[in-house]
Amino acid sequence: MIARDLAVPFPSIGMDDDALDAVRLMAEERLPGIVVCEPSGRPTRILPGSQVLRFVIPRYVQDDAALARVIGERAAERLLGELSGRRVRDLLPDPPDVELAVADPDDTVLELAAMMARTHSPLVAVVENDLLLGCITLPRLLDVLLPARPG
Amino acid sequence: MTVFAVAVFGIAYALIASEKVHRVKVALGGAGLMLAAGVLDFEQAFHERETGVDWEVIFLLLGMMIIVGVLSKTGIFEYVAITAVKKAGGRPFRVMVLLVLITAVASAALDNVTTVLLIAPVTLLVCDRIGVRPVPFLLAEVFASNIGGTATLIGDPPNIIIAGRGELTFNDFLVHVTPIVVLLLGALLLLCRVMFRKQFAYDPRRATEVMELDEREAISDRRLLIKSGLVLLAVLIGFVVSATTGTAPATVALLGAGLLVLISGLPPRDYLADVEAPTLLFFMGLFVMVGALIQVGVIDRLAELATEATGGSVQTATFTLLGVSAVLSAVVDNIPYVATMAPLVDSLSATTGNPDNVLWWALTLGADLGGNATIIGASANVVMLGVAERNGHRITFWEFARYGAVVTAVTVLLCVPYLYLRYFAFA
Repeated sequence: MIARDLAVPFPSIGMDDDALDAVRLMAEERLPGIVVCEPSGRPTRILPGSQVLRFVIPRYVQDDAALARVIGERAAERLLGELSGRRVRDLLPDPPDVELAVADPDDTVLELAAMMARTHSPLVAVVENDLLLGCITLPRLLDVLLPARPG
Repeated sequence: MTVFAVAVFGIAYALIASEKVHRVKVALGGAGLMLAAGVLDFEQAFHERETGVDWEVIFLLLGMMIIVGVLSKTGIFEYVAITAVKKAGGRPFRVMVLLVLITAVASAALDNVTTVLLIAPVTLLVCDRIGVRPVPFLLAEVFASNIGGTATLIGDPPNIIIAGRGELTFNDFLVHVTPIVVLLLGALLLLCRVMFRKQFAYDPRRATEVMELDEREAISDRRLLIKSGLVLLAVLIGFVVSATTGTAPATVALLGAGLLVLISGLPPRDYLADVEAPTLLFFMGLFVMVGALIQVGVIDRLAELATEATGGSVQTATFTLLGVSAVLSAVVDNIPYVATMAPLVDSLSATTGNPDNVLWWALTLGADLGGNATIIGASANVVMLGVAERNGHRITFWEFARYGAVVTAVTVLLCVPYLYLRYFAFA
């Protein structure tokens, strides 16, 4: 199997789209992340869900796990309020801390797996002629890698 | 050989100060060159007290790093800080006073960098809740950490070096340095009130958010907390009685660390997590380089020059040492500074006299307090700066220096009448 066979249609967003809309899309479609495209349609970055959490959870809470316990549920409910008025580009590290997980349509399963491992990305964008063909998620890739169950 | 030793030391010192090359590489490289060139032989570098690695300093640091590393995982620090903040009712200045005091007391018992790493996240959380800018709080805490660390033998690495060279006990520091540190903390709080006066706006609505924090949730492992708390207490008592029992502080710390490792049941990855191997290696390399200077007679010659410059007067030597140490510690790391100065003060004291170890106290106060003047003056400053920056609060060199220079000037000047009255006027 090659990337073209594994890729499924995937929603994408723009750098200047509303961050809250992007997160809502991830939640509603159960997406592990989302592809960020330029106005021309060329994929430019991948916004993983974990990056959204890194943005909304204060760094000091990430540094000191004990503080996450003392804050309480009410504050947790307000966390996503941090995204209000933010754009997608605000959520992404600048400069990018990892290479863009982009595959050619004829990349093999092993190439895709190596790219996911290297970039720590939960999805790989498959691009043809600078346009997003679709995406491959980690569960989809693992499904292909798993040997068929005997019997 | 003398020229070679001085050249290696000078280049190494410049590289450490410039931070162009990692200080561990410089210290170990310099030590290696001294040994390879035969300035020191193996015996002199590793076994002789005068010129070799001070193993007591290394093992005291190692033991305390293990104990503090385990204790910091229990969440006790967060518990104490949040309890105090709630007692202050979320009023910004009261919050600052309590956080400063907690930091200072903790720094007297723990390493300054560890203290800063523990207090900074809680401070950021609290400031977020009460709606004030955290930078003044973080600055006040780092100043308190450097001042509080001055109080005891184990509070700041330079003190451990000074104690080793001057054969000073834990109690010597408690009797001679702790009293002035208490006074300096009072002065720091007054300075903070004035320097940050516009930053204490109180918002009762925001203050209630602090009261919602549940400090009991901070404690992650109650049994480990009790075990490590008891061990730390036993170690502190051990330090106090070590002068009468004749047990070296390093032995006390290692026994405490060993006991804690045994009863905590933690795997090595956990109890060794806070052991800073680079710091210990830096110390070893530094001791060998300074030992080389002692071996070729440079330190004795400098001591002679210092004696001539001060006219052989211990009083002049005391205040010169205090002032020069404060200024130099503001611009170079105070650990290599003290490692170099300690043998010099040892030699100087033989000619000028050293009533009640006043020269050692002048070196301690000057070197530790001088670290507050600039960001690069102490490791804790650099660490606090990093924590602030990671959380979106950039503190510039000049913003730090604007407040740090005032704190250093006032605290060092307050030491002058203290040293004069206690060791000269009413001696």
